[in-house]
Amino acid sequence: MKEFDAIVIGAGHAGCEAALALARTGNKTLLLTLSLDAVAFLACNPSIGGTAKGQLVSEVDALGGEMGVNIDKTMLQIRMLNSGKGPAVQSLRAQADKIEYHNEMKKTLENTPNLYLRQGEVIDIICDEVTEEKIVKTAVGIEYKAKAVVLATGVYLKSRIIIGDYTKDVGPNGFSNAQMLSDSLKRLGIKLLRFKTGTPARVNSRSIDFSQLEIQEGEKDIQSFSFITDEKDKKELDQTPCYLTYTNLKTHQIIKDNLDKAPVFSGLIKGVGPRYCPSIETKIVRFADKERHQLFLEPESVKTNEIYIQGFSTSMPVDVQEDMVHSLKGLENAEIMRDSYAIEYDCIEPTQLNPTLEIKGHKGLFFAGQINGTSGYEEAAGQGIIAGINANLYLKNQPQLVLKRSDGYIGVLIDDIVTKGTNEPYRMMTSRAEYRLLLRQDNADLRLTEVGKQVGLVDEKRYNIYLNKLKQIEEIKEKLAQRVKISDTVYAFYEQNGESVPKESVSIKDMLKRSNIDIFKVNELLKIFDGYSRDALREVNIMTKYEGYLNQQQEDIEKSLKNEKIKIPEDFDYFKYHGLRHEAAEKLAEIKPLNIGQASRVSGVSPADIAVLSVLVKKHLKEK
Amino acid sequence: MTKTITSISTPLGKGAISIVRMSGKDCLNIAKKVFSCNAFIDNNIQPRFLYLGNFKLEDNLFEKCLCVYFKAPNSYTGEDMIEFQVHGGSVITQKVLDVLLNNGGGLAEPGEFSKRAFENGKITLDEAEAIVDEINAESESELKASLNVADGKLKIKIKELQNSLTEEIASIEATLDYPEEDFEKSAKEAIVKKLHSISSQISEFLKASENARYIQKGINIAIVGAPNVGKSSILNALVGNERAIVTDIAGTTRDIIEEQTLFKGLKYNFIDTAGIRNQTCDQVEKIGIEKSRKSIDSADIVLFVLDASRELQSEDTEILELVKNKNFITIVNKIDKKRVLQPQPNEIKVSALQEKDIDKIKEVIYNKVIAEELDFSNIIVTNERQIAILKNCKNIISQALESIEASMDILAMQIKSLWNELGKITGESENERIIDLIFSKFCLGK
Repeated sequence: MKEFDAIVIGAGHAGCEAALALARTGNKTLLLTLSLDAVAFLACNPSIGGTAKGQLVSEVDALGGEMGVNIDKTMLQIRMLNSGKGPAVQSLRAQADKIEYHNEMKKTLENTPNLYLRQGEVIDIICDEVTEEKIVKTAVGIEYKAKAVVLATGVYLKSRIIIGDYTKDVGPNGFSNAQMLSDSLKRLGIKLLRFKTGTPARVNSRSIDFSQLEIQEGEKDIQSFSFITDEKDKKELDQTPCYLTYTNLKTHQIIKDNLDKAPVFSGLIKGVGPRYCPSIETKIVRFADKERHQLFLEPESVKTNEIYIQGFSTSMPVDVQEDMVHSLKGLENAEIMRDSYAIEYDCIEPTQLNPTLEIKGHKGLFFAGQINGTSGYEEAAGQGIIAGINANLYLKNQPQLVLKRSDGYIGVLIDDIVTKGTNEPYRMMTSRAEYRLLLRQDNADLRLTEVGKQVGLVDEKRYNIYLNKLKQIEEIKEKLAQRVKISDTVYAFYEQNGESVPKESVSIKDMLKRSNIDIFKVNELLKIFDGYSRDALREVNIMTKYEGYLNQQQEDIEKSLKNEKIKIPEDFDYFKYHGLRHEAAEKLAEIKPLNIGQASRVSGVSPADIAVLSVLVKKHLKEK
Repeated sequence: MTKTITSISTPLGKGAISIVRMSGKDCLNIAKKVFSCNAFIDNNIQPRFLYLGNFKLEDNLFEKCLCVYFKAPNSYTGEDMIEFQVHGGSVITQKVLDVLLNNGGGLAEPGEFSKRAFENGKITLDEAEAIVDEINAESESELKASLNVADGKLKIKIKELQNSLTEEIASIEATLDYPEEDFEKSAKEAIVKKLHSISSQISEFLKASENARYIQKGINIAIVGAPNVGKSSILNALVGNERAIVTDIAGTTRDIIEEQTLFKGLKYNFIDTAGIRNQTCDQVEKIGIEKSRKSIDSADIVLFVLDASRELQSEDTEILELVKNKNFITIVNKIDKKRVLQPQPNEIKVSALQEKDIDKIKEVIYNKVIAEELDFSNIIVTNERQIAILKNCKNIISQALESIEASMDILAMQIKSLWNELGKITGESENERIIDLIFSKFCLGK
């Protein structure tokens, strides 16, 4: 039997982060994947980031993860979304070269010390609850032993693709699936759910008439996601464009005429699909009065002609798909290269997990990514790095890491799924974060680099970049008190920016509080911030402009932290004391919240229950 | 940093004095703002001394009351505490509480004083269970009160406000989370308009609730019936004193008697009328009867009293004629005697003599007011917690309007906190509700 410290099952976006986190913290780590060609595979959109997802990538990056670095190496185009709507909701989104994205990640894995990348289908996991050792068996008969196991199987558990009335038991893109592992999980007492998702067709770019279409280019002055990517070292991006087209009444008619053939409506698909990623037939039925739906044509790679039609996923039969694609402007003669399909898969009920991503009842068994009922590469990576960190801490007998909702989107994501569960593939949205103003993409390093350092994932290079940014921020902040006389040029500056001119001299801070003035404009005028990085300047600009609101959120956080700090002992018996409503006790006993704060978010638990619980927890502790 | 909490510690509306107490670091500062006596002015306040002074209710309105200060840790909660002993009756007590809330106090959660005492080690482990009971009992009674309100106007109206806000938030959030989709963007002007309209509606609720709680009007309830069916006894039982003269001789009540009582924050004005009798030679009683007819006309609700121990008389049916177009409740009194009267539709059986089931009358009146949306000068039933929430909502709205020129994420944050605050009344606080609406309203996704 081959022995490892840790085994990660699945080399998708969660598995890669988990395995790298484990190996980089010195654990001999085995990364098993169904296919080496599917490592970090972008099975759906060829893109990384987007609203809330961009924040997740930055958080993974700040913790010392790989996703941000990998997309920086392989992007085709990058843009800032929501640039006009305030810093809290601004997110980067990059088009990825999916072939290169896979290649680069695979190369990184292969060259990471302590990390062993191996192809193989896992069919069984056996947990010894006494020694906490786990045996992982593969289909070809190899047995591996390790104390920590991370399951990151994505959508491959008993997956089945559906196109019209054609179905096949395979994984995404025809990769083979894992038929046996679901049953192994059931034997461990783990409850499974069945979810559904889908992906649109890919067409050959030579058959698209781009001249008829609206073009969407990247932004020239943004170059990177990661806090450690040095823009000077990066060769300039070509910014391969995307294109826009729309569905039309003809498309809608084709779909309506063929609805009886759509598996979503015929009942062939039983899995629960995400509302935020509906198939085009669902969109047409649910939003019948909408005359057109916007579609993006995204390049998959510079090494292929394949174009991804974002917004057009369907499980219609192939002949109908063909008609649908050909009804689109610019795609009248499009050659379909891959069919659109829906995919169903097993995942676990995530409320069975602790916020550490360890499953309750099996020490050392962690879960990350789509197997937890989430959706999206970035959501997967965020969980992957946490599962990897906690598996390492578990192996070293150190306290587990739980990111709070006020620490980052990763904290929100994990807290949501383990406390409330989900009845559809869970997608991160900025509206899910109550402290959105503080959880920005630009300050993810300020929020999480120290955490990453503590758990051993932040190397010296990253830490120094972070310290340097902190130092610059402090220096810039000190300069804000400087007073500026209203000279003729300053007078003109205010007027040019459409702001009323102050009567007396003002501080730089006062200047920044004006809505049409920012730190960059001030620097052009006064030249006092030359030599400071754009990032540090932007940070101080946001801190100053939004000072009041940020303080307000900080106060809210401090109030909530009081409850987060009251830990509920693991052996606390919710049924032992009288006073707690039975219904609340049942819910709480199921979720087993770590602290009073998490308990208060369990659905069906009232504020009075929480007051009672906090008294009882104190009583329990004093009695012990 | 724990907030300074305050609440009324004695049962509302009963007793000659009421106690309103505060606990927390700021309580002395708050007290200094509202209470004046020499020691307070000289800043020479001794713990555990009883001070007589003036509590400022409004600019020119003072309540003469007693104040005592307990210095931490020598107090019930272990924190600094202040107690005001004020004149009993709900009006003054509520007003005192309001003033404290407006000056920086926060309304205590159910059982919070005891919970703090426990947390600060002032209460032993053995008593912990008692605190749990206290929390449960207080939140239950609050819940009961809110269940009544739930059937009522306030919750329905707040729910409407919250729903309209949910739509607004969904639009904003959809634009923020899906910047690339091509749907109608939510316009700032519409948001401003909505905020103004919510603010003015909340102001109306607050005004109405003040009316309900402080203003003299209340609900006029006429008690009518043939002579000697026991109208005055019912009144006495309802208000709990002996204001009306009760004898066995028919026609004792010659004047109209008004009595007031409070029930769940609603003020009831009872009007005990002279027994209506068709022929009477007694001049005094004639005037009384004329007045009775008038008071039926001006009453919001009429209690029509019958005597269980006798058959329906012609007088009874004539009175029924008078009240049948009014909102009336049939009360069958004297059920302690042998029942002769045939069953009446929707009757309430009581015995004024034995004070049996008298509260049922109050309850039925209350439900009629709430459920049937009677127009009692727009009275809205609220408790202190709801009023505190509504006031908070107004503050949030003014902040939001001030920052309307700020970026969309800021505005969204303010509107969301308004939504959360309204949710404390409606019980709707799940973020998922907003996300549901985003997806049902907008066609989103790849």
